[in-house]
Amino acid sequence: MGFLAPWFLAGLLAIGLPVYVHLLRKQTTVPRPVSSLMFFEQGTQSSVRHRRLRYLLLFALRTLLVLLLALAFARPFFRHKSVLASDKLLLVAIDDSFSMNAASGPGATGTRLDDARRAALEVLSHRSPGQKAQVIALGGQMRLLTQPVEDSNELRAAVAGIAPGDGHATFGELGRGMRAMAESVHTPIELDLFSDMQQPNMPGNFADMVMPGNVALVLHRVGPAAAVPNWTVESVEAPGQLVDTKKARVLAVIAGHGTPAATRTVSLIVNGAAIATKKLDVPANGRATVVFEGLDVPYGESRCAVKIDSADGFPADDSSVFAVKRADPERVLFVHQASDTRSPLYFGAALAAAAQASFVLQPITPEQASDIDPSKYAFVVLSDVPSIPSILENSLIRNVQDGGSVLVATGLADSHREHIPVYGGDVADAHFYTRGSAEDAGFTTVGESDASHPSLKDANAWQGAKFFYAAAVDPGTARVAARLADGTPLLLDQQLGEGRVLLFASGFDNVTNDLPLNPAFVAFVDQTARYLSGQQRVSGARVVDSFVQLRNPANAASGSAAAKGATVDIVGPDGQRPLTLKQAAAAESFQLAHSGFYQIRFANGRDALIAVNPDRRESDLAIIPDDVLKLWSGSAGTGAAPAATESSTPPENNVSSLWWWVMLLSLVAALAESGLASRYLGTQREDL
Amino acid sequence: MLQRFLDPAILHGISSLDLVAKTVVDGFVAGLHRSPDFGFSLEFAEYRAYTPGDDLRHVDWNLFARTERCYLKRYRGETNSQLTLLLDASNSMKYTSHAVSKMDYARYMAASLCYLAIHNQHDPAGLIVFDDEVRNYIRPSTRQGQLYRLLAGLEQAEPAARTDFAKPMRHFQQFLNRRGIVLVISDFYEQPETIVKAIEPLRFHGSEVVLFHVLDPKEIYPEMKGPAILVDLETDRKLEVIPDYVKTQYRAKMDRHLEEMSERTRAAGMGYHLLTTDKPLDRALTEYLALRRSGHTSGLGGA
Repeated sequence: MGFLAPWFLAGLLAIGLPVYVHLLRKQTTVPRPVSSLMFFEQGTQSSVRHRRLRYLLLFALRTLLVLLLALAFARPFFRHKSVLASDKLLLVAIDDSFSMNAASGPGATGTRLDDARRAALEVLSHRSPGQKAQVIALGGQMRLLTQPVEDSNELRAAVAGIAPGDGHATFGELGRGMRAMAESVHTPIELDLFSDMQQPNMPGNFADMVMPGNVALVLHRVGPAAAVPNWTVESVEAPGQLVDTKKARVLAVIAGHGTPAATRTVSLIVNGAAIATKKLDVPANGRATVVFEGLDVPYGESRCAVKIDSADGFPADDSSVFAVKRADPERVLFVHQASDTRSPLYFGAALAAAAQASFVLQPITPEQASDIDPSKYAFVVLSDVPSIPSILENSLIRNVQDGGSVLVATGLADSHREHIPVYGGDVADAHFYTRGSAEDAGFTTVGESDASHPSLKDANAWQGAKFFYAAAVDPGTARVAARLADGTPLLLDQQLGEGRVLLFASGFDNVTNDLPLNPAFVAFVDQTARYLSGQQRVSGARVVDSFVQLRNPANAASGSAAAKGATVDIVGPDGQRPLTLKQAAAAESFQLAHSGFYQIRFANGRDALIAVNPDRRESDLAIIPDDVLKLWSGSAGTGAAPAATESSTPPENNVSSLWWWVMLLSLVAALAESGLASRYLGTQREDL
Repeated sequence: MLQRFLDPAILHGISSLDLVAKTVVDGFVAGLHRSPDFGFSLEFAEYRAYTPGDDLRHVDWNLFARTERCYLKRYRGETNSQLTLLLDASNSMKYTSHAVSKMDYARYMAASLCYLAIHNQHDPAGLIVFDDEVRNYIRPSTRQGQLYRLLAGLEQAEPAARTDFAKPMRHFQQFLNRRGIVLVISDFYEQPETIVKAIEPLRFHGSEVVLFHVLDPKEIYPEMKGPAILVDLETDRKLEVIPDYVKTQYRAKMDRHLEEMSERTRAAGMGYHLLTTDKPLDRALTEYLALRRSGHTSGLGGA
């Protein structure tokens, strides 16, 4: 037994206080006067004894209370040998990230995951009788595969059932998980981690992976002890949708991790057939870019990949998949006033100039658009039209609620009218900056912009644009993507049902602003067109463990008609449907857990083919230095546990704090003292 | 309405003893109904034929003028009764369980009796303050300023020593050489036999002796919830006492003492009244007037 803060034992001197008080009370006892003791007789001795006993008990309680308080502050503890092995929870954590698919060694046929499973089964077989164990898989997320159980068969089955994953593991996630677990599990925990100890698995902050005090970390490294050279297709840039196959180009980056300079053969594969092959010189431990001009894919969705002949020990990362959709150009309905000829000119030119966009602009006046079906268009643009036929507005609103999109521009014509079609808001005021104060040049510029908005990826280029007019619109619940220098919202994104309405608070002509004359306008129109047409959401390649939004959460929560009964359909890379019917009817998002192609039909009825690639950080097979591993394992528990392959930690002295018990006793003593003292004081108030 | 001024708790708020006495007596007198037994002025009684030797000052000259017969006018006169108060000023009289101590109560009572005797009845009144000795003696008189001498004597009578009836009573004999009314005010913490033996000789001169036994109500019915240490105010002796004893044996002893006091004093021809300090003071005044009427208001006398 010992004390963590022995200097608090000086508080024991306070025991003198009750001693003093009790002595003082005895000395200052004031007998009560009576006229005469003529009729009184001495009381029996028992009464005096009883009172003295009570004083002694009160004195003892007060002394005990002071003693316990001093002890509590001194933090008493006692050491005892390590708890029984059967009391320690054995946690078997197996890294099943993408890098564990690499070969376990040069020339070996098995993977690192095989070695990890084998070692884990070995540890489980050597655990103490009656000791509980739990199996954890560490991929993109930490997954508990079993509860703490003693059943060896269940534990072995869980270990054997760990399949190769495509996720990116991070030891920071493991540290957070263990800290959360330590709050609920108060017994000592022995965490056996089986991993290739890949350098990219380290979190940015070492503190994230530090284990709590009752966790003893034992590291089991699988795979080679040194970094293995590995080439990989790091990224592929290809159009998600194309019209002209000859104009399309595929750009791939080939990276080498710990590799010597070498020439690699890069192939472009479309629907399983290699349509192009190139030789590429990759520098030592560096990157090289290869470009394939033309992408000859058939109409519809095509499953494409860029593949290299790496001949390294990690063939799983030698290819990168992407999906391409070939279709006729989609039409964009551009509604404008007959007198406004500049807007369709500028917008159409920008749309045509966009490299990846494949849209054809169809200008039309509001009068001609009465019987137009908006669903036949990729999206609709209302350019400075103060009023549209109600039949068109209603059909546009229906279309938006079902997943369509509308871009509204409020030019000068709207300045005389409050209501904005489809958007639903009102024009509160019109700001004419040409009549502004003299301190500026008669115009304003973009003050702030949200670069995370899909339409404003190149928002910095907007800084040079001059705005002479903007409609002041109350943003309400809409997302404000850009504001002018005076705070007037410039670009608002309003979700409406399954679709959205994008409001540009100025015009597309060069009268209200000079943005159409700015190069940034082309990028804006291109990104906006892809965003509103839905290509943005489904084109390109995703990373494993990323999420795809299946339906509008606000719409699903409100239970709108569009959301009711609208199920999503997902077919995974393995041809299976990962969602049950119930999940398909309610799920708002879906995690892409495996690499390959996902065929998804969204709640708004659109189909998409999504390519998913593993996180390329997993391709860097560099190993965490031993000193870092020692530091990490030493940070867990009270004893150092260097990276080793032992199945259990040596016995150690554990420290059990008695603080809580002492405080509990103090509370009991305080309550007893209060009760006894109150009775004593009650006697003092008696009068004869 | 004025009866409330007889309450000792109210009188405790009045600092001046003469004002206390005046308040008590005036309140007492105003509360009395007009009664033939309690006249304070001279009342006509009868006419008697003049005989030689009679005092000519008592001849009713008006009647003589009408009838030419000489008659003497006789009144029902009140004989002066000498009032002597014996006040116990021992330490035990300091005891109190509320605002008024036994000594205060005794002072109020003595002051009221003196006021009533001198101011209303024109009786000579005197005071003997004693404990184990005679500490103060004021000779009974009706002289000018007698009332204030008595009140000053009462003011100075602070409890100091213990009670001893036998020793001062010897001196009382020489002071009380004329018949009258003797009122003894004390808490009588002594054996009744000893008390009676000590006080009884005061009657031998023909005086009416009345004992006013003043006690605090908590002395008769004490309350105690736990064991306590008690100290005697006169002897400073300490005693541990338990509640059970107080509830049973103490009360029995006190009841027996009071009963014996009453029996023995009455058997000795003395009056006895038990007064508790929470009771009004009129009982003592009533007793005094009753004594004057019964024993000391005899005969007819000239005005």
